[in-house]
Amino acid sequence: MNPSEQIRAKAKELLDSKTVDCVIGYERSTDGKNARPLFVYSSKDADRLIFDQTCAQDLVRYLLNRKDKVTGIVVKPCDSRAINLLLNEHQIQRDKVYIIGIACSGVAKTDWNKTSDKLRDACQICQQHKLVVYDFLVGEAKAEPAAEAYPDIKSMEEKSPGERRAFWEEQFSRCIRCYACRQVCPGCYCSECFVERLDPLWVGIRIAPGENEMWNTMRAFHLAGRCIGCNACELVCPVNIPLSLLNRKLEKDVQTLFKFQSGIDADAPPPFAAFQKDEKLGVAE
Amino acid sequence: MNKFISKKDLLSWLGKLRETRRLIAPTRVEDLTLFKEVSRVEDIVFDYQNTDLPPKQFLFPATETIFSIEKKDGRVELVPAKVEKETVIFGVRPCDAKGILTLGMPFLEEPGDPLFREHREKTILVGISCLTACPECFCASMGSAPDDPSGMDIMLTGVKDGYLIQVLTDKGKALMPDSLLSSVDTPKPPAPQVSTVPSKGITEKMRQAFDDPYWGRVADRCLHCNVCSYVCPTCYCFDVRDYGGKNKTERVRSWESCQSPGFSKIAGGYDPRANKGTRMRQRFAHKLLYFPEHFGTMHCIGCGRCVRACPVNIDIREIIQDVQKLGVKEK
Ligand code: SF4
Ligand code: SF4
Ligand code: SF4
Ligand code: SF4
Ligand code: SF4
Repeated sequence: MNPSEQIRAKAKELLDSKTVDCVIGYERSTDGKNARPLFVYSSKDADRLIFDQTCAQDLVRYLLNRKDKVTGIVVKPCDSRAINLLLNEHQIQRDKVYIIGIACSGVAKTDWNKTSDKLRDACQICQQHKLVVYDFLVGEAKAEPAAEAYPDIKSMEEKSPGERRAFWEEQFSRCIRCYACRQVCPGCYCSECFVERLDPLWVGIRIAPGENEMWNTMRAFHLAGRCIGCNACELVCPVNIPLSLLNRKLEKDVQTLFKFQSGIDADAPPPFAAFQKDEKLGVAE
Repeated sequence: MNKFISKKDLLSWLGKLRETRRLIAPTRVEDLTLFKEVSRVEDIVFDYQNTDLPPKQFLFPATETIFSIEKKDGRVELVPAKVEKETVIFGVRPCDAKGILTLGMPFLEEPGDPLFREHREKTILVGISCLTACPECFCASMGSAPDDPSGMDIMLTGVKDGYLIQVLTDKGKALMPDSLLSSVDTPKPPAPQVSTVPSKGITEKMRQAFDDPYWGRVADRCLHCNVCSYVCPTCYCFDVRDYGGKNKTERVRSWESCQSPGFSKIAGGYDPRANKGTRMRQRFAHKLLYFPEHFGTMHCIGCGRCVRACPVNIDIREIIQDVQKLGVKEK
């Protein structure tokens, strides 16, 4: 059986046995080329499920809307880190999720009405071809971790602070503050985001350079030590701001400083929620 | 006989306009095509189908101060915002010109929004008809067409070495000197075929579908990311906030979207559209039911931008098809 058939069979079994109330997977989108999320509530719809190189979206965030129901979900290795992140932060319960894990060797660059054989940027530098958590495994992972995890971050680090400032000013000036980056991020689930808070007011509503910058950097800091490097924020941004350069820089720094990578181990204490007596921050030492 | 302007004359005319006005035109930014103020006519791109964002922001800016309250010599004064310069938007497509007409309906209906009115009065639209259509465009089903000049002051149609030109309004006439135009017998190239959606009777069907569980199912996969509203040429929701200073307070408005969680939250924390399905229905009911009932025209002009931009493929063309079928028993 190919991956799509395996997923369909498993989904039918889970739904018919009432193990789960719904299976979240992928189906073909209306352009006939890409994939979109699909919620399957009855096994008669399970044949619409597919899996191939176009199944790029991370579906894990949808679990936050279904906390009280048992849900089956199709996850790639990178998405499985999102599950661990949410487990670690007590946002979902392990026994309410049935994970259909896909051993994946990378998904393709997707764009409306276009097909591509080229792997997504995140997949080209993926270190995580193995699922960190799953209940049922589909396929066999063949790909090896990429040689270099942060080539893009390293070249940013080589730039002078002035050059980086100019780069980000230019990028953030395009931001329309749609908050799509937040809406898609598995780590952004606050019931009231700082940016919408009125009292106290953290950031104003202007869609203009100063406040855009405030929004983008504050969000990045909220993801420090929590970002799983999935690139979803960057892919969804309608004005193509390379957000992962910022978020993954913090991921890299947290890894260097605390030897911690979010989403790898659901039980490891996250660095900003734990304190160790001999912790050295490299500040004023 | 048709009127003709050469590409060279067109560019030098635009260059001249730029000296005294704000010239907005399609430009390439990274791999996007966006309307931007241009300082050199060489930056204008001509080989685009539809820009990634509509020209909406030049009439209804993403952020603007609508008035300020100033303390001067012991008096408090309300100072309305002013639109300083005239703006020429070059390169609008027929759908976007129609979009600007549609956007204007709620803003200009009496008593009207003075700032929008001023933007509108000080804006001149120089459009280019479409010779090819993107597969996701469905303007012809929404009351427009690839060669529809509605809303434009001047419309161009590409031919060899230049453009056939229609000067449609007094504003257009005042701007375009006759000396740049010549008469030619080049025929107008035919408008391309655009794909269609079954929009006929959709308003009535939307009313019937109001309480259908369908909306909840579609909303399952919606991320409430707002992208559809922000790329839409006709969406006009905004939020208002006061920015206080020592002697001056500004009232600012910024784009908002009915898809954002909390958009309809009211005092006390109650949210009549807290549920994903009702939020989703609001978007489509506004476009296809409430707006047509009130203004007599669809609130979607079929530009296809939300179709291309939605990260989870919530496709208004599919919604229209599905709603037409709701209530019809499957055999
Ligand atoms: S997705 Fe892009 S445009 Fe939207 S708020 Fe985030 S950075 Fe800004
Ligand atoms: S940006 Fe921060 S406050 Fe807003 S949702 Fe994300 S983590 Fe929460
Ligand atoms: S890459 Fe972006 S979307 Fe993914 S976890 Fe990090 S901040 Fe969130
Ligand atoms: S663009 Fe799509 S996912 Fe985003 S709010 Fe609109 S319909 Fe929902
Ligand atoms: S609803 Fe979509 S297709 Fe219709 S005008 Fe808005 S962006 Fe264009």
